[in-house]
Amino acid sequence: MKSALVRRFLQTVIVLFGVSVVTFLVMHAAPGHPLQANPELRLDPTAIERWLQLRQLDQPLIFQYLAWLSRVFRGDFGESLLYNRPVLELMGERLPSTLLLTLSAFALAMFLAVAVGIKIATQQNSWLDRLVCTISLAGISVPNFWLGMVLVLLFAYRFPILPAVGMRTPGDGSILDILQHMLLPLLVMVAGNFARYVRYVRSAVLDVMQQDYVKAARARGLGENEILYRHVLPNAAMPIITVAALSLPMLFTGAMVAEYVFAWPGLGRFIITSTMARDYPVIMTVNLYTASLVAIANFIADVLYLLIDPRLR
Amino acid sequence: MRRILATVIIVLFMMCTGCQNNKSTTGPSLHVAALTGPLTMNPLFLRDTASAEVAALLHPQLLVTDPETLLPKARLFSSWQLLEDNLTYIFSLHDDAYWSDGKPITAEDVAFTLRVICHPDYTGGLFLPLRYITGAEGYKQEHSSPFADGAISGISIIDEKTLKINLKETYAPFLTMLNFAPLPAHILSQVEVAKMESHEYSHKLPVSAGPYLLAEWNDEYVHVRANPNYFLGKPSIENIYYRYIPNLEAQLIELLAGKLDLIPTAVKVEDIKNLKNNPEIKIYHNPRLVYDYLALNGRKVNSPLADKKVRKAFSLLLNRQEIVKNLLLNYGTPLYGPLLPLHFAYNKALQTDKVDLAAARRLLVEAGYNKLELNLIYNVGNAVRENVALLLKEQAAKIGIEIKITLLEWEAFLAALNEGDYDLAILGRGVEVDPDLTFHWHSQSRGNSLAYANSEVDQLLDQGVATMDRSKRTEIYQAAESIIVEDAPAVWLYAREAIHAATAKLQNFTPHPESIFYNVHEWTLAAEGEEF
Repeated sequence: MKSALVRRFLQTVIVLFGVSVVTFLVMHAAPGHPLQANPELRLDPTAIERWLQLRQLDQPLIFQYLAWLSRVFRGDFGESLLYNRPVLELMGERLPSTLLLTLSAFALAMFLAVAVGIKIATQQNSWLDRLVCTISLAGISVPNFWLGMVLVLLFAYRFPILPAVGMRTPGDGSILDILQHMLLPLLVMVAGNFARYVRYVRSAVLDVMQQDYVKAARARGLGENEILYRHVLPNAAMPIITVAALSLPMLFTGAMVAEYVFAWPGLGRFIITSTMARDYPVIMTVNLYTASLVAIANFIADVLYLLIDPRLR
Repeated sequence: MRRILATVIIVLFMMCTGCQNNKSTTGPSLHVAALTGPLTMNPLFLRDTASAEVAALLHPQLLVTDPETLLPKARLFSSWQLLEDNLTYIFSLHDDAYWSDGKPITAEDVAFTLRVICHPDYTGGLFLPLRYITGAEGYKQEHSSPFADGAISGISIIDEKTLKINLKETYAPFLTMLNFAPLPAHILSQVEVAKMESHEYSHKLPVSAGPYLLAEWNDEYVHVRANPNYFLGKPSIENIYYRYIPNLEAQLIELLAGKLDLIPTAVKVEDIKNLKNNPEIKIYHNPRLVYDYLALNGRKVNSPLADKKVRKAFSLLLNRQEIVKNLLLNYGTPLYGPLLPLHFAYNKALQTDKVDLAAARRLLVEAGYNKLELNLIYNVGNAVRENVALLLKEQAAKIGIEIKITLLEWEAFLAALNEGDYDLAILGRGVEVDPDLTFHWHSQSRGNSLAYANSEVDQLLDQGVATMDRSKRTEIYQAAESIIVEDAPAVWLYAREAIHAATAKLQNFTPHPESIFYNVHEWTLAAEGEEF
C-alpha cells in the first residue's frame, strides 16, 4: 500500500517536470515576446533590448529554463512580464471570482444531475427519460461560446433584463448585483455540466439496478425506495464521485470560455489574455498549476480506490 | 458535503463583495469602455493604449499640444521661455500644482523624472528626444549607480518652481516631446530604476497629481475619483469608471442599455448609422496621428521589391479616395506621403490619386518581370485592411502580379514584421505630433523598420530638427517627403479617424488626436431631464 503510494507520487513529480519542459519549449517556439514592438506605439528599440536584458530574456533557453526551475524550487514563481507583479499574487486575486462561478455551477449541475439522473434511471425509456437524454445530448453538443452569445443577445439586448458582461456594476457590487451578473455565465456552465453529469448518473444507477443483489433485495420483498437508497445509490456513488473528482481542476482554472464571453474577471480569462500576450512566467505557472491539479485529482482518486477496493492493494 | 459547499460559496460571495463599503459612489459617474485593462499606473512605462489612457486621467503632462494646431500648450509647466541661443529653455511649474499628499510639485521632481528616463536601466519609451539635453547621453552610458541620483549637466534647478534645460544642439520638436508626467521624487528617489516598474507606486499609485486620483483598480475596471486639489480646478464629473469589455458588440449593448457612457476611439464605421438615429447617443470623430500603409519589403534576398520600378508600380494600383469613401465611409483622409493633414508641414499638392494600370505594367516589364508572385500579410480582425488586401490582390492580378494573402494572429504578425519575413504587409504606424520624420525615415534611426536609406533625406531631416522657423521647416519636410515618395518604400493608404460614441449628456468632450482624456477636467454631465 505504502510503496504503491510512493510510486504514484514519484510518477506525479516526473509528469509535472515533463509538463514544465514541454510548456517552456512550446511557449518559446511561438513567435514574439510580450514587448514586441507594436508599430503604432513607436517604442524605442534600445529600451526594449534593455528590458529583455534586465529580465534575462536574451539568455539561451536552457539557461532561462534552469533559472526558472531553481527559482520555483525556492517557491518563487516570478513576476508577470506585463503587470510586473508576482504571478501568484495576480492569480490569487482572480481565484475567488473564478471559484464563485465554477463552484456554484458545479454544485448546481451536480445537484440537478443526481436528482434528475436517479429519477430517469428508475423510469427508463419513459417520455421523461427520452426528453432528458435528448436535452443532455444537445447540451453536450452545443458549444459554450455559442450558447453564451445567444443568451447575451436574448437577455441583455433583445430583452435587456440582465447585464451582458462583468461581475459587478462598478460602484455597486452587492450580493444581488453579483447574482444578476452571475446568472448568464452560470446558465451556460450549468447547461454543459448538467448534460455530462446526468448521463453518468443515469448509467451508473442503471448499472447497479441490474446487479444480482438488487434483484435479490427485490425478491426479499423490500420496497422500491429502500432498495434505491440502501442498495443502489451507495454503490452507484463510486463512478459519480470519480467524475466529480476529475472536475476538480476545471473548478480551479476557471471556465475559460464562459469567462471570456462574459468578461468575468476570473482566472480563466487571465490565462487566455496572458497566453495571447506571451506572458511567459504566467503561462509557466498556470500550466504547472493546472497540471498539478490534474495530478492531485488523479492521485486522490487512486488513493480512494486503494482504500475502498481491497482487490487493488 | 453539501453544507460545506454552500458555506464555501457564501464565503466567496463575501470575498467578491468585500471591500466595497469604503468605495461607495457619490456624485455623477461616467462609465468609459475599454477593450483591455491597463498594465501599469506609472506614467514613464506606458506601452499599451489602456495604460496610456488611464495615465491621462491620473497624471498631469508637463506640456500638452493643441488638439487642432498641435502646437505646444501650457499644462503643468505654466509657462516657458526659449533663450536666444535656441538651446536654453526656462520652464515654470504651475504655482498651484500639488501632489495628492499635499507636497508641492517641484523642479526637483521634474529633474528627477528626467534622470530616471536618462538612466541606463530605464526601459520605457521616452529617452530618444531627451538625448538632445546636454549630458543626457553621457548619463545614459556612464551613470553607474542603480538609482537616478547625481546630475545631468544640462538640467539645473533655479528655484522650487523653475527649471532650466540646456540642449547640446537645436532640437525644434523638443517642446512637443515633453508630453509625459513627472514622478514624485519624495516617493521614488530611493528606488532603483530597474525596480521602478514593479514598485508599489506603479500598482497602487499612492500619490499622484492629475485631474483624477486612483480609487480602485481591479480585473474589471479602474475607478478614479475627481482630485479636489487639481491645479486646473476640480473636475465636475466625480467618478470615472474605466471598464474593460473585450468585445465591441458587448460594449454597444451596454451603451444602448445606458450602462456605459462613452466608447472611445474604437467604434466601427458600420455601426455609426444605427447609433446616429438614437437621440440619447452622440457620435464624435477626430483625426489621429496614426496611418495605415502598405509596406514593400525589398530587403529579402533577390526580392523584386528591391527594384524601385516594381515598388513604383504598386503606388499606381490603388485609388485611395475610393478606399476612404467606400471602406471608411469618409471617416478618414487618403494619404500619399508620410506627413498627415494635422502636421503643419502637410503638403496638399501631393494629394492626388494616380491609378494607371498600363503605366504600372510598363514599369514591371521595364524592371524585367513578366509575372510576379508575392506574399502579403496583415492581422486578423481588421475589416478595412482585409478589404484593402483583397482590392490590392485584384488590381495587382491585372498587371501580372499574383498576391498570396496570409492572415496572421497579432503576435505572429508583429514577429513577421520584426523579422522582415514578408514581401508586402498592410499595417498601421503611429507618428509624432511634430512633423519630424527622423524616427521612421532617417537611415540611422532604430525606428526605421523599413530600413529606408537616402542620404539626401538624412541631411534634410537633420536640418529640419535644427531649424526653429516653421515656414522653413515646412519647406524642408515637404522636400524630404517628395524624395521619400519618389523612392516608393511604401504605399501610403489612409489616416483613419477615431470614432467615439457617447451619451448625449456628456458635454465639452474634446478629444485630442493622441488622448481622449485631453480636457477631462472640463467635461460635464447634464443632469437627468435637463436640456442638452
